[in-house]
Amino acid sequence: MSQRRFIVEPRGLVSWKVRLGVPVASVLAAFVVAGIFLFLTGVNPIEVYAEMLDAAFGTPRGISETLISSTPLILTGVAAAIAFKMLVWNIGGEGQFILGAIVASGVAIWLGDGLPSFVMIVIVIVAGGLGGAMWAAIAAIPRVYLGTNEIITTLMLNFIALALMNFLIFGSSSPWRDPEASMFPQGRPIPENARIPEFFFRLTGGIFIAIALAVFAWYLIGKTRWGFAVRIVGDSSETARYAGIGVARKILTVFLLSGAYAGFAGGLFVAGPVGALDPRSLDLGLGFTGIIVAALAGLHLLAIIPVAILMGALNNAGPSLQAIGVPTATVTMLQGAILIFAVAGEFFINNRIRRPDIEPDQKSEVVPVLEEVEPS
Amino acid sequence: MTQTSPDTLAVELCGVDKSFYGVKANDDVDFKLAQGEVHALLGENGAGKSTLCSILAGLYRPDSGDVFFEGEEVTFKNPKEALAAGVGMVYQHFRLVSNLTVAENFALGHPDTGVRLNQKQIHKEAKELGEKYDLPIDPAARIWQLSVGEQQRVEILKLLYRNVKILILDEPTAVLTPQEGQALFKTMRQMAAEGRSVIFVSHKLDEVKQVSDRVTVLRNGQTVGGVATADADIKELARMMVGRDLVLPTRDTTEDFGEVMFSVKDIHVPGDRGLEAVNGMSFDIRTGEIIGIAGVSGNGQRELAQGLVGLRTPTAGTVVLDGVDVTKQTVLQHIKAKLGYVPQSRLGMGLAPGLTTEENLAIKAYRSPPFSKGRRLVNSAFRTEGDRVVEEYDIRGVRPGLPIRLLSGGNLQKALVAREIEMEPKVLILRSPTRGLDVGATEQVRNLILKEQARGVAILLISEDLDELLALSDRLLVIFEGEIVGEMPADEATAERLGLLMSGQAEEVSS
Amino acid sequence: MNDSLLMLTVLAAIGLGTPLIFATVGEILTERSGILNLGVQGMMLIGAVAGFWATFTTGNLFLGVVLAVIAGAALSSIHAFLSISLRVSQIVSGLALAIFGTGLASFLGRAGGNPLVGNPSRAVFEPVFTGSITEIPLIGPLLFGQDILVYLSWAVAAGASYYLFHTRMGLSLRAVGEDPASAESAGVNVSRIRYAHVLAGGALAGLGGAYFSLALTPTWQDDPIGAAGWIAIALVILSSWRPGRAVFAAYLFGAAERVQFTLQTLGEPWSDIPSTLLAMLPFVLAIIAMIVLTSGKRARYLGAPEALAIPYFREQR
Repeated sequence: MSQRRFIVEPRGLVSWKVRLGVPVASVLAAFVVAGIFLFLTGVNPIEVYAEMLDAAFGTPRGISETLISSTPLILTGVAAAIAFKMLVWNIGGEGQFILGAIVASGVAIWLGDGLPSFVMIVIVIVAGGLGGAMWAAIAAIPRVYLGTNEIITTLMLNFIALALMNFLIFGSSSPWRDPEASMFPQGRPIPENARIPEFFFRLTGGIFIAIALAVFAWYLIGKTRWGFAVRIVGDSSETARYAGIGVARKILTVFLLSGAYAGFAGGLFVAGPVGALDPRSLDLGLGFTGIIVAALAGLHLLAIIPVAILMGALNNAGPSLQAIGVPTATVTMLQGAILIFAVAGEFFINNRIRRPDIEPDQKSEVVPVLEEVEPS
Repeated sequence: MTQTSPDTLAVELCGVDKSFYGVKANDDVDFKLAQGEVHALLGENGAGKSTLCSILAGLYRPDSGDVFFEGEEVTFKNPKEALAAGVGMVYQHFRLVSNLTVAENFALGHPDTGVRLNQKQIHKEAKELGEKYDLPIDPAARIWQLSVGEQQRVEILKLLYRNVKILILDEPTAVLTPQEGQALFKTMRQMAAEGRSVIFVSHKLDEVKQVSDRVTVLRNGQTVGGVATADADIKELARMMVGRDLVLPTRDTTEDFGEVMFSVKDIHVPGDRGLEAVNGMSFDIRTGEIIGIAGVSGNGQRELAQGLVGLRTPTAGTVVLDGVDVTKQTVLQHIKAKLGYVPQSRLGMGLAPGLTTEENLAIKAYRSPPFSKGRRLVNSAFRTEGDRVVEEYDIRGVRPGLPIRLLSGGNLQKALVAREIEMEPKVLILRSPTRGLDVGATEQVRNLILKEQARGVAILLISEDLDELLALSDRLLVIFEGEIVGEMPADEATAERLGLLMSGQAEEVSS
Repeated sequence: MNDSLLMLTVLAAIGLGTPLIFATVGEILTERSGILNLGVQGMMLIGAVAGFWATFTTGNLFLGVVLAVIAGAALSSIHAFLSISLRVSQIVSGLALAIFGTGLASFLGRAGGNPLVGNPSRAVFEPVFTGSITEIPLIGPLLFGQDILVYLSWAVAAGASYYLFHTRMGLSLRAVGEDPASAESAGVNVSRIRYAHVLAGGALAGLGGAYFSLALTPTWQDDPIGAAGWIAIALVILSSWRPGRAVFAAYLFGAAERVQFTLQTLGEPWSDIPSTLLAMLPFVLAIIAMIVLTSGKRARYLGAPEALAIPYFREQR
């Protein structure tokens, strides 16, 4: 047998140092790779990154904009994380976000300005969640009852949702369209009482709602009976079945919950900074960015909050790049690279590499069980 | 066929060892196969037959020892090399690509280097081959459309298409009807007549007697004996097969049993392919009684256990637990009715591999206090309960946050059994509870079972390990092809009697 | 006759259909090996920008195509490494490459002192045959009025079909996608086949992207290919993983894209249907087809390679 140069083996207990170190290394690696491309096109990457840092965190206004950008990412990140943990590949966060915005703004416009602000805001957010869940259901039900692969269906639904939003605003005289906009079609502003108040430049209370919803999801999955059952299903559906858990129901519910969270993001966006169903402001790729957030956070629900702020910072820094002659696409490139390295990082979190002549330290050595290879 | 002198052994193994993670599957094994011979490899599960065959077929490499093929020493790096040398194996789980046609499966990986795939030619050749060996097949059929017997024919013909000299069949009759089995034996003899050699792995004595020229018996990884079939005595073969082992905790024979706690009447359970895996079994278990079901795996044990706990729905018959008919109830209802189940698949079913030990200990009990208060989980209870159980049952290797899959086999099993016991079952069903465990862990698990018996639990022990069954059971049943073929109280049971029944031999009625 | 509405629609369908054929056939090859590559959009965009840049800089179309193919393959090699060697989630890996490829392509189009954006290509693919042969009614413009890449797309689809079903390599490929363990038992090198076909898929996607920037709309703009890469992924399913059917599926979608213009010329009430609603059409069809084609018995004949998107772990030795 040829001597191998190194051995790859599964890691036992993953220390927090590895769990934190790998995502950080992923981000740094992404900056390096993007930096190389920047350099090749004649730009100094350090200058660019400094500019981005300044735009995102350098001024109080900047910080507020960063947090505004982070708000929906917290929620779409949670949406992706809870689905992926169950191996439900919901990549339709984009579409569920848009449907959340559509339903939220629709309900707000329909209810008018009679109700107290607090009630309106709650209704709008809930409506957003319902919109997202409903959109997810179109893919969830075939998945659970017919075994239809949800990757393509959720992906296609993104484009349908986008077209639907365009139709409502550009393609028709729907109630969502602003009757007073004469020059160029745009979304009708929702009633004032449905708007979440700003308190720090343009930053609204929405950030707190988003954080609260994220914490609620964390509580739901981590601290309730239902959440425990869900975690068992996510780990091994066979074991869940053996323990008497209804696997199909759990998968369906989590899928819908994932859609709901993306929908919350849409609803919050409309009730927050945007104030209307506005295609240009909403077509931001927040669903896909949410997947990046979830992956970098290792699917840990609380870790999503700081990671979302990082992504929000990147998004916010984008426009400032134009001023120094660098394409805003740099941000997308960076985010894509971060996801690539985050995904590769998973490998290093789950496995370790060692030289064959070096014995693994005693502390982490446990005897693995070869269950399904039946030597007999 | 290439010219080798007829005296040269087709295959010889000398002193072959093979271990997996410290467990010795083959221990100093010697094996001789002559040309033109049908050679049976006899032994129970865990005896080392499959490992031996896998080494011959190039799937594994021996840790030590020599392998000779037609007089020359060989080391096969992979199955492809073995096939090129003329050794092919038909595994219990077929290596056929389900969505491709028969002809395509024939052609796959064939050393012929033409770019073009001449479907017509292959169809012709396949059909002719099938006719020659009286194993008719339709080359255009897709594998998933074929019955299991037909698929096996394809597997065998596939190897003949490559002109193998040595054909290894691993428990081939397990999936065949009696008639198909007879057809297979005809084919085997035909191949032997051509000068090819066949290794026939089995645990069924009458088949071994019928078709083989020689028999080699393996037990616990070692060769126990090799005889010409004509000279072999069935009883002697059975005894060689099962043997005896060390003394471990055994039951106390003077037990008073209580009332019938678990009553199974004429139960029929479907298998995976639509056929019935359990064809009408009936038995009762009283409180404090341990009923053992002996049998070689693949005779319906899995389906029986699943049918009894709600993972599979019986098509007929009844299962009554403490007076309640639970036959068609859900798994959860069975759990709530106080039925405990230790499955054979530890990490695949009994335990969730990625969750921690304390989480796994709670997967059935989490719905009520102390693990939850209302809808809320009480995390501290997980910890305290977890610590308590780990301490009490001596489960080693547990660390906070450690996924349970990293525990050793013995500790996994202790955790699994501990959990079921902590649920305070009235009836406990266990499958192969000490399989793959070392002596220490085996002792601990057996003690746990006996303690439950003392508590008055009705216990069903389904196992392939005769030592375990003989040591623990009060009464023994033998399962063969989905039916009970023998029943006896423990003090009348011997390994020999059980071995015979497990191999499908009817008992002689003693006058 | 050659100017009729039908003819114009068909020609437009071929126009948009050609890059879709390349990308779809490429992804079919990839998925037939069992690997799901969701990054097609990124690979097409990289091909588009690489091809445009090469031709813009050198004036040579051939170099443009070559660079596009190399760029697409290079990007897909990242996905291949992550999915086959590291065995991480193919879904997330593919998405990552789609996002990265999109960002990189847009970046390269705008970066540097002399950005590509807004500039017309220095060379464009023109129809191969000219003159009276293209005047023949019907088949004239259809068969003879096309540029070389269109003919190439037909050749690629036909070639891939033959490869898949009539060669030994194609058989090995199909086996790897259905049941890698059995294929490995039969002596097939699963890893090597998967790598080769992921790269092939990326190369073809790059070629498809280049068609946009060098033939269809030969000016570099920020959104050169629309959602073509994503559509290709859906088309793979609609063509039941068969390259021959991919041609029809691609042309069908090309026509569906153009249908709003067709409807305009038909007058009321057809022209009243909003284009935004029509934009949904291809995607709605994809979902319906997905649900219908992949459930139940039909799935065995029309369905995905069984081992699609499942990481393959070689057996212990």
